[in-house]
Amino acid sequence: MKKTLSLLVAVLLVLSFVACGNNTTQPPADSEGAQTDKGEMSSENSGKLTIWAWDPNFNIAIMDEAKEIYLKDNPKVEFEIVDIAKGSLEQKLHVNLASGVTDGLPDITLIEDYNAQKYLQSYPGSFADLTGKIKHDDFIDYKVALMTLDGKVYGVPFDTGASGFFYRTDYLKQAGYEAQDLNDLTWAQFIEIGKTVKEKTGKAMLPFGLDDGGLMRIMLQSAGKWYFDDDGSINLTNNDAVKEAVETYKAIVDADIIKPTNGWTEWVASFNNGDSASVVTGIWIIGSIKAENSQSGKWGVAPTPRLNISGSKNASNLGGSSWYVIENSKNKDVAIDFLNKIYAGDNDFYQKILGDKGAVGSYQPAQTGTAYAKEDAFFGNQKIYVDFSAWMKDIPSVNYGLHTYEADAAIFNVMPDVYAGNLSIEDALKKAEEHLKNQIAQ
Amino acid sequence: MLKSSTKKNADRTHNAYGWLFISLALILISVFMFYPIGHSFYLSTMRTKGIVQQFVGLNNYIRLLQDPMFILALKNTFTFFLIQVPIMLLLGLIFATILNDNTIKFRGVFRTALFLPAVTSLVAYTILFKMMFSSEGFINNLLMNMHIIQEPIPWLLDPFWSKVTIIIALTWRWTGYNMVFYLSGLQNIPKEIYEAAEIDGAGKVQQFIRITVPILKPIIVFTSIMSTIGTLQLFDEPMNLSMGGTTSSTIGPGNSLLTLSVYIYNLSFKYVPNFGYAATVSYVIVFIVAILSFIQFKVAGDKN
Amino acid sequence: MKKRCKIGRILVYVLLIIAFVVSVFPFYWMIVGMTNSAVDVVKGKMTFGNQLFTNLHTLFTSFNMTEILLNSLKISGLTVIGTLIVASMAAYGFEMYPSASRETAYGLLLLSMMVPFAALMIPLFRLIVKFGLLNQHISLILIWVGSVFIIFFFRQSLKTFPKEIIQAARVDGSGEFRTFFFIVIPSIKSTYAAAAIYSFMLSWNAYLWPLIVIQTDDKQTVTLLISSMSSAYFPEYGVIMTAIVIATLPMVLIFFGLQKHFVQGMLGSIKQ
Repeated sequence: MKKTLSLLVAVLLVLSFVACGNNTTQPPADSEGAQTDKGEMSSENSGKLTIWAWDPNFNIAIMDEAKEIYLKDNPKVEFEIVDIAKGSLEQKLHVNLASGVTDGLPDITLIEDYNAQKYLQSYPGSFADLTGKIKHDDFIDYKVALMTLDGKVYGVPFDTGASGFFYRTDYLKQAGYEAQDLNDLTWAQFIEIGKTVKEKTGKAMLPFGLDDGGLMRIMLQSAGKWYFDDDGSINLTNNDAVKEAVETYKAIVDADIIKPTNGWTEWVASFNNGDSASVVTGIWIIGSIKAENSQSGKWGVAPTPRLNISGSKNASNLGGSSWYVIENSKNKDVAIDFLNKIYAGDNDFYQKILGDKGAVGSYQPAQTGTAYAKEDAFFGNQKIYVDFSAWMKDIPSVNYGLHTYEADAAIFNVMPDVYAGNLSIEDALKKAEEHLKNQIAQ
Repeated sequence: MLKSSTKKNADRTHNAYGWLFISLALILISVFMFYPIGHSFYLSTMRTKGIVQQFVGLNNYIRLLQDPMFILALKNTFTFFLIQVPIMLLLGLIFATILNDNTIKFRGVFRTALFLPAVTSLVAYTILFKMMFSSEGFINNLLMNMHIIQEPIPWLLDPFWSKVTIIIALTWRWTGYNMVFYLSGLQNIPKEIYEAAEIDGAGKVQQFIRITVPILKPIIVFTSIMSTIGTLQLFDEPMNLSMGGTTSSTIGPGNSLLTLSVYIYNLSFKYVPNFGYAATVSYVIVFIVAILSFIQFKVAGDKN
Repeated sequence: MKKRCKIGRILVYVLLIIAFVVSVFPFYWMIVGMTNSAVDVVKGKMTFGNQLFTNLHTLFTSFNMTEILLNSLKISGLTVIGTLIVASMAAYGFEMYPSASRETAYGLLLLSMMVPFAALMIPLFRLIVKFGLLNQHISLILIWVGSVFIIFFFRQSLKTFPKEIIQAARVDGSGEFRTFFFIVIPSIKSTYAAAAIYSFMLSWNAYLWPLIVIQTDDKQTVTLLISSMSSAYFPEYGVIMTAIVIATLPMVLIFFGLQKHFVQGMLGSIKQ
C-alpha cells in the first residue's frame, strides 16, 4: 500500500520536473519567425505585439498574413497571435479590463461589432482613441459609427458581415427555380420557394437554430431597425420590424422547411453534407461552404430576402468585427502603426485575403481590385464579390446599442411559446419587453 | 497534568499547535476564499457597468425580485434540484445496496463500472453527451431502430427535452460518485442485522427501508447537501450543452437550461458587465444553500 | 420464497447489466470515435475504424499536445501533493486540538463551500495579478490547495482515529509534528489515496479558472484544449474524441491504480 502511494507521488514529482524543464528550455514557437534576419534593415519599430482573435480559418489566418507583410518592413517587431474561442476571448477581456490591470491584456484585440459599445462604455479609457491616427473616412460608414463614442473613434474596422442568400443551384433547379427567380425576394416568397424545394427534392430549405437570433438580426437590420430606438430605449412592442421578424420566424418554422440544428457545428454540417438547400447568413460563411470541395460549382448567392414592411432593403448584415488597441499597451504606437499600414492602407493585402479567405473588408479603396472582379468557380462563375460590394452599399445603418444580447435572450426566451402557438405575437413581445426592461433596469 | 499551572501551560501549547496545524490552510483559504467572498459582498452593493460603479446599497437585492430572468434561472435550478437529485441519490442507494451483497457475482467489476463516469471531466462528458443526443445522434438512432419511437426526439431543441437531457447527463455523471459514499457506509453495518431481519421475515425492500436508509441517514444528508451545492452551482453542463451561446441567443431552447451560475456568468461576461448585480445573485445562492442545508439537517435530525 | 428470490436475483442482474452498459457505453463510444473520421463520428458509427493514427497525428501536430499534457500532469500532481499536506494537517489541527474558536473557523470554512465560483472570479483574478502570478501554473495550484472539501474529508476520517495512540506518543516524548507525520499519516494512508483522487479530479477537470488565468497556448491545460477544440471552428470530431480519451486516461489510470485504497479510504472517512 505504502509503496503504491509513494510510487505515485514520485512519478508525479518527476513528471512535474520534466514539465518544468520543458517550459524553460523550449523557446515559444512564435518568436522564431521574428528573429530571422535580425538587424538587416534599420527600422524604428520594435517590441512585441500580442493579438487576440478567434477563428483560425479566418481572423487568425488573416492576421498571420498581415504579420508577414508588416515584418518585411519592420523585422524587429515580434508577433504573438493568440487563437481563442470567441466566448472565451470575451470573457478574458472582461476579467482583465474589470480587474483594472493590464499585464494580462493583449496589445490588439478583435471585438464583435454588436459588442463594441458595450466594451467602450463599460471600460472607459481602456481602448486607444484612434481618431486622426487612422483614416476612418476610407471605411464604410456604419462600421465607423458603431465604434464611435462621444465623437471619438476607437477602432479599425475589419470585416463586414454583409449577408446573402446562399443556395444550392442544383436543388433549386430541380425545384424549378433559376437564379433570376431568386433576386430581391420577400421572406414570404422565400418560404413559398422553400416549400416547393422541400416537396420536389425532399431537402430542407434552411438549417435553422430555433434559439439562434442571427437571422432575426439580419431581418431587423434590413429594415434599418433594432431592438432599441435610436436613443437606446427598448422598443419591442411598438416596433413593426421586430413584429414582422418574429412572425417570419414562426412562418418559417410552421412551413416545415427547416432542418433544426443545435449550435454552429451542426448548422454548418447541414449544408456541408447536402441536407439543406440554402443558408441566409453573413459573407464570412463562404469559407465554410467552400470547405466541402465536392459541392464546387453547385452554389449561387442572391440578395438577402427582405421584410414585408416599408423601408426594408434586400441587404443586411450579420456579425462582423473590428480591431481595437488597448490604451495601456506598452507598444501602443507600434500596434497603431501596424493596423494603420496594413488594415487601413494596404490594398494588396485586402485583395489577397479576399482571394484566399473570402474576407471582405470594410476598407473602401480596396473594393475595386482585381480579386473583387474575379469569377468564382465554386459559385458557378458568379462574380460574387461584385454582387456583395453592391449590396453592401444598401445595408441600413443601425445603432446596436449596449444590450443586443440581452434583447436576443429576452426574445428567444418566449419563442418556444410562439412556435407552439401558446402565445400570440403581441403577447409574446409584451412579455419579452417586460423581461428586458426588468433585466437591464437602467 | 497534575499541577494546574502545568496544565495551563500544556493547554496553551496545545492551543498553539492547533493553530499551527491549520495555519497553512487558513492562510490559503483566507486569501483565496474569504477575501474574494468579502469583496464580492462589497460589489453586491454596487451597480456596475464594467469599471464604472455606483453605490446602490441593497437596491440590487430588491431588483432581483423583479427580474424575470433571475426568477427563471431560479425555477430551472430548482427543477433540476427537485427532480435530478432525488433520482440520482435513490439510484445510488439502490446500487450500493445491491453491490453490498456478497453473493452478487462480479461485484468489483460492476462497482468500478458504475463509478467510472465520475472520473470524466465535466467538459469532456458534456461534449460527448451533446453528440450522442443530437437529433441524428446515436440515441435517436438507437431508439428508432428499436422501434421505441417513430420520430426523432428533439433532445436539445425543445425546452422540455433539453431539461430531460441534462437530467440524464447529470445522473450518468454523478450516480456512481454518490454510490461509493453509500457503499462505504454500508460496509459498517453488521451483516447480523440483516440476517436477523431475514429471520423475522422482512423482505429485501423492507430491509432497505427499515435498516439501510436509517443507518445511512448521516451519509444521505451529507450527499444531499453536497448535491445541493453542486446543483446550485451547475455551470459546465448547461454551458457546453447549449453551446454557451456562441450561436444561440438563449441557454437551451427558451432558456430552459439557464441556471443561476450561468446567469451570473452572463451578467458578468455576456451582457453589459454588471459585476455588482452578479455578486448579488451569488449571495442569493449562498443564502438558498444555507437554508436548504439547514432543512436537510433538520429533516434528518427529527427522524433520528 | 425461494422462487421469488430467484426472480429477484435475475432482476437484480438485469438492472446491474443495464447500469453497466449505460455507464460504460460512452467510454466505448469515445474509444471507437477515436478511430473514426469526423463524418463517421457524426453519423454515429459504432465500430472501430482505421483513423486512429491520422487522428493522433492531427492532434499532436495541430496542437502542442505533449506539452499541454505535461502541463496538466504537473499542475494536478503538485495540487495533489500540496492539498494532501495542507488539508490533512488542517484536519488534524481541527480534530485533535479541539477549541471553540477553531470550531467557529471550521464552520465558516464549510459555509464558504456554498459560494459559487463565478462570484469569486473577479476579486480572485485581481489578487493573482497583484501577486504577479498571471499566466503561471502556480495560480492554478494555489487556489485548490486549501480545499475545504478535502479538509472535511480528512477530518471525518480522523474522527475514528484512536486518540490514545497520540497520547501514548506524547508520553513517549514524540513531538506533535513528528507524531503527525510518522504515526498518524501512515495509519490513514487510504484516506490519503481517496483524497488524492478527489483533488486530482478537481484540478484536472478545472475549466473556468484556468480559462481566465492562462493567457498563452504553451501554458494551456488539457481541459482548456478540449473546450476550445469543441467550440465553433474545429469540426474534426475524430480528433476531439482522441483528445477526450487522452484527457480521461490519466484519471482512469489513477483511479484503477488506487482503487483498493480508494474504497478503504472512503470507508474510513464515512465511519461515524
